Amino acid sequence: MNGYNFAYLDEQTKRMIRRALLKAVAIPGYQVPFGGREMPMPYGWGTGGMQLTASILGGDDVLKVIDQGADDTTNAVSIRAFFQRVAGVETTTATAQADVIQTRHRIPEATLRHGQILVFQVPIPEPLRFIEPSEQETRLMHALEEYGVMHVKLYEDIARYGHIATTYAYPVKVDDRYVMDPSPIPKFDNPKLHMNEALMLFGAGREKRLYAIPPHTRVESLDFEDHPFEIQSWNECCALCGSETSFLDEVITDDAGSRMFVCSDTDHCLTRRGEVA
Amino acid sequence: MSMLWPGLNDPVHDSQRLFRQLLQAMSEPGTLHLLDVAAPPEDGPIGAALWGAMLTLCDLDTRVWIARELDSPALREALAFHAGCRLTDDPASADFALVTPTALVEGIAFATGSDEYPDRSTTLLVALDRLADHGPWQLSGPGIPGWRRLDVGDDEALMECLARNRTRFPRGLDALLTCDTRLTAIPRSTRIEKRLTEDRPCMSQ
Amino acid sequence: MYVAVKGGEKAIANAHRSLADRRRGDRDLAELSVAQIQQQLRLAIDRVMSEASLFDPELAALALKQASGDTIEAVFLLRAYRTTLPRLAVSEPLDTSAMRVERRISATYKDIPGGQILGPTYDYTHRLLDFMQLAEGEVATPARAEQALEHCPQILELLDAEGLIEQETDDGLEPGDITRDPPDYPLDRATRLQMLARGDEGYLLSLAYSTQRGYGRNHPFAGEIRLGQVEVEIFVEELGECVCIGEIPVSECQMINQFGGSREAAPQFTRGYGLAFGHNERKTMAMALVDRALRAEELGEPIGSPAQQAEFVLAHADSVEASGFVSHLKLPHYVDFQSELELLRRLRRAHAEGQKAAPDEEDSQ
Repeated sequence: MNGYNFAYLDEQTKRMIRRALLKAVAIPGYQVPFGGREMPMPYGWGTGGMQLTASILGGDDVLKVIDQGADDTTNAVSIRAFFQRVAGVETTTATAQADVIQTRHRIPEATLRHGQILVFQVPIPEPLRFIEPSEQETRLMHALEEYGVMHVKLYEDIARYGHIATTYAYPVKVDDRYVMDPSPIPKFDNPKLHMNEALMLFGAGREKRLYAIPPHTRVESLDFEDHPFEIQSWNECCALCGSETSFLDEVITDDAGSRMFVCSDTDHCLTRRGEVA
Repeated sequence: MSMLWPGLNDPVHDSQRLFRQLLQAMSEPGTLHLLDVAAPPEDGPIGAALWGAMLTLCDLDTRVWIARELDSPALREALAFHAGCRLTDDPASADFALVTPTALVEGIAFATGSDEYPDRSTTLLVALDRLADHGPWQLSGPGIPGWRRLDVGDDEALMECLARNRTRFPRGLDALLTCDTRLTAIPRSTRIEKRLTEDRPCMSQ
Repeated sequence: MYVAVKGGEKAIANAHRSLADRRRGDRDLAELSVAQIQQQLRLAIDRVMSEASLFDPELAALALKQASGDTIEAVFLLRAYRTTLPRLAVSEPLDTSAMRVERRISATYKDIPGGQILGPTYDYTHRLLDFMQLAEGEVATPARAEQALEHCPQILELLDAEGLIEQETDDGLEPGDITRDPPDYPLDRATRLQMLARGDEGYLLSLAYSTQRGYGRNHPFAGEIRLGQVEVEIFVEELGECVCIGEIPVSECQMINQFGGSREAAPQFTRGYGLAFGHNERKTMAMALVDRALRAEELGEPIGSPAQQAEFVLAHADSVEASGFVSHLKLPHYVDFQSELELLRRLRRAHAEGQKAAPDEEDSQ
């Protein structure tokens, strides 16, 4: 693409983001403000993740982009095509072969390895935002480690429904200090945040925040002794690969409301079916 | 002469490659990384790794503080030429501080950020005479499965300064430690202990 | 048999072709040129440039053409282009007192030095559709004044001389830069004004209107509204002086508001300020009203209304951010929706079992 720098962003912007990333890994779970730039895609469509990817990506990297766990959803296709165009990098759908994986709403089923970087797209980085809309207030709450309101919110769910009613973007505590929004991944994926081998970076473009979980870092989902954290489970297995352990998408197959369940992680499903070369 | 101090051959791709090493170093404290970058003139105390880190991170948006024993007209000229960064005499306003362990003994007041904005802190770029793994300093915390060992030579003061980070977390100083072409990082999240014997401590969680 | 949706790339390419086709419309009609848009949709251009924070009428016209006339989409296109441009210099503050005035009115005095100058305005047009424009009629050239305009001093400076209005003083601080630094609330006025200047006109208009209807009322008078050309100067180090690099049209609104004062300070009128590229009168008036509302804390007024709440007003003013986040709801949310479905079914099962187990309890509720 003529007239644009490698990976779209100018070098000064990349350096600004890179400096912020070093702070983010040094203070795990803390949201570092950064001078987010406009990207040629709308805010809310992954501009934060794209800015991080653009700042870390090198010519030798192999990139994978997923949305909802799938490589073939329109937004994943669009972002992958963008980086092919502006950075000329090799792309893959195979989780194991990727150096950098940009994701929206899922962590791949396959265990990530050391050296891989997972870049999350984040819409609202502040886990306390829906309890306290003011940025000045939530900043103070993080400073004072004052997270009582979050427990109250979760407990109100239990009082009303008998369960914690948060099913995605389920808050976690990183290295016993910062309460963090893991982005809208299903809580099914939360356990994968704990002691993962890969580096996990989170970018919120519109809100101009980025944060990180280094490899091998303790990450606990908030819960209560009498209501321990638990993940989703299905009575069904994947209709295509038979998996009983992966996150399943429900697919409506006819207008009588018949449905089937299939893996949300397309690479995982194809690999299990032996359809990946 | 600034021209004796080398810049990056390929600013776009070299700085990306070097940054990835810095990112890995900072996210896996205590791991050693060899930076493949042209070294500054030989007689100076600043090695290739330290110079490479500066070329990767510093630009006109950053303020750099330089310790007396590292300062030289040639360095200043080279920084202005290759990075365009602003130099400062006020350590509390520095984004990066170029130091030796001696500067840390003097108790210079670098920025440690605030509880609200712990990121508004000085990052230390430390020039060491010795840097190896398997030393007496035991590191644990985020980025470290169990523990890692580090040898930074005879530098109690440096490690004590960095160990203080835990008492004021999330405020603190992150450090990139360098010697020649070698680099490691100790961010403020790292717990530091001195092990006098080469015993094998049990794996901590 | 279920087959996973494939071929997203092809579908996207086809959607782009379809869009281009609809943009062009009937091929029997001449295609709009960028120059035509630039000349004849002037107010749309000015709005796009203001909200994109980039003065470039030709590119704004191109953006409008490419966006099929969708202002917000055009603002986004121009903004995304702006962010890739290098910063070559920083201009000196614009001196709007030295404006080459095309229009200048005050609602506070009947006659003012330099006079009331109506200039190009829709204000007194009767909003009757002009069917003549359906046909292609030539427009007469406007009447020109015989003499050059007199100097037009700023009306608020006249009040200032008498001490009746608060003084604007330069605090000497380097203003923030919202295009490079993330907002750090609470924000100072310079930063707030930058955010309002690129804020969505419709949003600011509604907020401004709400202050007039009593939600944070601050008794405004349109002290002066002026529109015209101002010189842009940069300081050239080598020459040791400022050099004019060109002229741009701007609109400025200075609102005079309810007075403040205390036991120590004599009562004075207060100010609200609005500035925008081109002819953007409605925007600058709305901006001035909202600017004044956001000064509530500084002026010791109770903060109770939406337009006075700085974080609320400023965090939601940008149309590029707002439209992006609203439109992102079109992206797939299968995974989160599935998570909610799973929970809802579980809760409903538990509810049904609870009802079966204790029907009496249900009756008594």
